[in-house]
Amino acid sequence: MSPHGVLVGALLVVGVGVTLASCVGVLVMRDAYDRLHFTAPATTIAPLAIAAAIVLEERFSAAGIKALLVALVLLVTNPVLTHATARAARVRQHGEWTIQEGEQVKGANP
Amino acid sequence: MSEWLVAALALLAGLVPCGVVGLRGDPINRLVGLEMAGTVDTLVLLLLAQAYDRAIYFDLALALALLSFAGGMVFARFLERWI
Repeated sequence: MSPHGVLVGALLVVGVGVTLASCVGVLVMRDAYDRLHFTAPATTIAPLAIAAAIVLEERFSAAGIKALLVALVLLVTNPVLTHATARAARVRQHGEWTIQEGEQVKGANP
Repeated sequence: MSEWLVAALALLAGLVPCGVVGLRGDPINRLVGLEMAGTVDTLVLLLLAQAYDRAIYFDLALALALLSFAGGMVFARFLERWI
């Protein structure tokens, strides 16, 4: 097997492995806030690894560029979505999403 | 079977935990399951496009990435308003 093939295979294993681990993390965590953390590796490491594998195989053809574009879109949009979801979760819990009166928050100003 | 097809099939197994999360708990937890499933689906489409060696199929992954973001935002907005 050529070094090129080994590298593509390794990148695919990283991408698939990270995504599957994130899925299991989403399943076993207790609440929505903990679960949201596990969507991050699946939208940063995994798409970049898979797009890199496709670029290695196809060079910068239409396929390679589109794969990089998909990875970029996931990379940019998911933090926004995570923030919106966490905010919605907090609004449902407390009425509004800012720190409430008498609430102890680690790292926040007294 | 190429390595791309094997990777896509392996990733499909990741939809099972997402589905379980999407079927249990309160609406916010279900929404997280849906968002995760959207991400996994995007990656599966990306791998399938490469497996079938058609450049045009990559557009599907791109469309799904953008639409699952839009869908997630709409759901989050509605849940904020107690719908």
